[in-house]
Amino acid sequence: MKTGIYFCNCGSNISGKISAEAVMEAALSFPDQPYVTTVGFICSEDGKAQFEESLKAEQPDRVVVAACSPRDHEGTFRHCMTNAGLNPYLMQMVNIREQIAWVTEEPAVATEKAIRAIRGAVFRVRMQQPLEKKLLETCPDALVIGAGPAGMKAAISLAEAGRSVVLVERTPFIGGLPVRFEDLFPAMECAPCMLEPLMADLLHGDHADRIELMTMSALVEVTGFYGNFIVKIRQKPRHVSLHDCIGCGECIAVCPATTPNEFNCNVSERKAIDFAFAGVLPNAPFMTEDACIRSRGDECRACKDACPMGEDVVNLEEGETIVERRVGSIILATGAGLYDSSRIAGMGLGTLPDVYDALQFERMLSSTGPTGGEILTTGGIPPSSVAIIHCVGSLDSEHNSYCSGICCQYAFKFNHLIAARLPDAGITHYHRELVMPGKEGQILFQHAIRNNRSSMKRYTDIRELDVSRQEDGRLAVSVKGEAAPADMVILCPAVIPADGAAELSTLLDVSRDSSGFFRELHGRMDAARSTITGVYLAGSCQEPMDIRTAMLEGMACVGHTLAGLQPGRMIEIEPLSAEVDETHCAGCRLCMSVCPYRAISFNTERNASHVNAVLCRGCGTCVAACPAGAITGHHFTNAQIMAEMEGVLK
Amino acid sequence: MTAMKEFEPKIIGFLCNWCSYAGADKAGGAQAPYPPNVQVIRVMCSGRVDPQFILSALEKGADGVIILACHPGDCHYKEGNCRAMQRHGMLSLMLEQLGVAKERCRLDYVSAGEGEKFTRVIREMVESIRVLGPLQVTMEN
Repeated sequence: MKTGIYFCNCGSNISGKISAEAVMEAALSFPDQPYVTTVGFICSEDGKAQFEESLKAEQPDRVVVAACSPRDHEGTFRHCMTNAGLNPYLMQMVNIREQIAWVTEEPAVATEKAIRAIRGAVFRVRMQQPLEKKLLETCPDALVIGAGPAGMKAAISLAEAGRSVVLVERTPFIGGLPVRFEDLFPAMECAPCMLEPLMADLLHGDHADRIELMTMSALVEVTGFYGNFIVKIRQKPRHVSLHDCIGCGECIAVCPATTPNEFNCNVSERKAIDFAFAGVLPNAPFMTEDACIRSRGDECRACKDACPMGEDVVNLEEGETIVERRVGSIILATGAGLYDSSRIAGMGLGTLPDVYDALQFERMLSSTGPTGGEILTTGGIPPSSVAIIHCVGSLDSEHNSYCSGICCQYAFKFNHLIAARLPDAGITHYHRELVMPGKEGQILFQHAIRNNRSSMKRYTDIRELDVSRQEDGRLAVSVKGEAAPADMVILCPAVIPADGAAELSTLLDVSRDSSGFFRELHGRMDAARSTITGVYLAGSCQEPMDIRTAMLEGMACVGHTLAGLQPGRMIEIEPLSAEVDETHCAGCRLCMSVCPYRAISFNTERNASHVNAVLCRGCGTCVAACPAGAITGHHFTNAQIMAEMEGVLK
Repeated sequence: MTAMKEFEPKIIGFLCNWCSYAGADKAGGAQAPYPPNVQVIRVMCSGRVDPQFILSALEKGADGVIILACHPGDCHYKEGNCRAMQRHGMLSLMLEQLGVAKERCRLDYVSAGEGEKFTRVIREMVESIRVLGPLQVTMEN
């Protein structure tokens, strides 16, 4: 077996410490006496040309490059191998610069260490096998779960790029949480007005025909993997055709049944067939089956008969459907909810009137909400003093240890809105920390402290606070026993992952962190990728975030999808994956339990594990774990590693 | 210089590609010298290190083996370093049963930025093996 050793002098960086002559002499005792060629700077253009020419002339079976760190230039020299017509995996680098020449004082000692390392590489490279990247056909389309800001942005942008998108939304409407708000921090923009162009684009824009929107739907089954997921989506019956309904509301007027409106945080009622709230998109009512009197066995078809668009718009018999789609990537944009503040004793939520959490108060502020936007106590009069309690269940190891990051800004937005509508009302902010980062973060805070009806009180532990009802019927907020009256209390609870995150995590094998948010592949480098290849994360399903960041994350996921999957282009599968030899597999499945990427499945018919090369990242943990030695870690095989050890120890 | 030549241990170092190998490169970039006794074998992840490699290294003439991994929580492959930790614990017991001091196989964590820690860990390892002397299985019972 002809082996060539290419020794880079790296100017004098290497040759000043390590003797090339000594390496040449030592090579005479290596198996099959490899030839040794020295190069001035092998990574330079001249050096690479010299390397390639030499490879073409010598036609070695195996190549060792003794130079700098493979972390710098392994790719460079693999490329040279390919250019010279050789398989790039038949080359092994030895790091004689960073790990020997630069860190060993005595030249003779450095030379001896380098000879050992080069001998190890020669031994190893003899065991190396030519490897090829595999190619796989893929589907360029995407599934987006969640039609809030992040999901809508992702779906529209993908459609704009020509991709088909399946957009699955749990609720009957699009727009996520903010579409239920009146105004947004930091610039007090009207939320529905801001989102409406985006929503209209999604429903009826130039690229809307590529977006398949499924409301009242959820992902229920996933098979396959990156590039080729087969997903099943369960769609609950809306009983109203999104295609034919004109949103006139005739069916609502005649409906005899009512139910608490969960989209108004149950503070108001809606009809059994109704909109979630006024102005909602898609502009079509939906039926809550349990609330319809037909669910109790009564005969009623008032809604169907009232519809001016014909018999087929309201479908009383509509049942659940399950549809199957093929997609290449999945974007999770399932959003967030609020921590249940009734779990914190002393806050009074659910037990005292006029205590609201932030979402309930957003609905009260909204012109489409239960009071039409008027701030009123349950007595029907405007409050003369309002207490806003920050950090409820955040920064608290008993509840959620993290800072939710967005609450201070919306709390000062509340201040702004209350001050505008009730100029005489006193507003007290009870806060633990104040967190308002970013170039616009301070705007509403500055506004609040200029309001002479506002005051700030800092507390150190939520257990110091108590919301109670005084004898005169008014509420009072006491800090360490010192009480101040209030007519309304607004709680700013921790932002937590939306319902359904746990189920999705199980379905997709996507990890979650200790707070239940989906875990990023890397918190800084790869924050929009989940731990599963081809499943991306956008918006507050990953951590609490504002609309701006959620939209940007939506775009980040689009970037990953467009870069990774292109129509007609196959994906390359790295050959550094693991492979199971079925004849040796004992079927213990230990490999499956150690694989961090769920890349290993078990074939019960063949009674053997199987590694999916698309999902495998080549860490080799399963190779080390297999008690039968049935798994090969390509390019890091046992034989290669053993040979290297033998070479360096000889 | 001492008159008597000191025992120079032969040590195999398994370094994971992403953290500790990069940490070793970082030490190299700083050109801070450290003892030459550790011959590095690069693996993609410390989770690839089969306990068999360590036994084999000791059998082939190494006086010690050091496995360097990413810090817990920082593994490029999420949890390969945890596997390395588990296997190292098991191997330590086995080495003692074989009459080999468990200090001959050390597991430590070096991040890509910890060039200085890398040189310190290497120095400590070399010193501890020097104190233990050449590996002679029957002598250490």
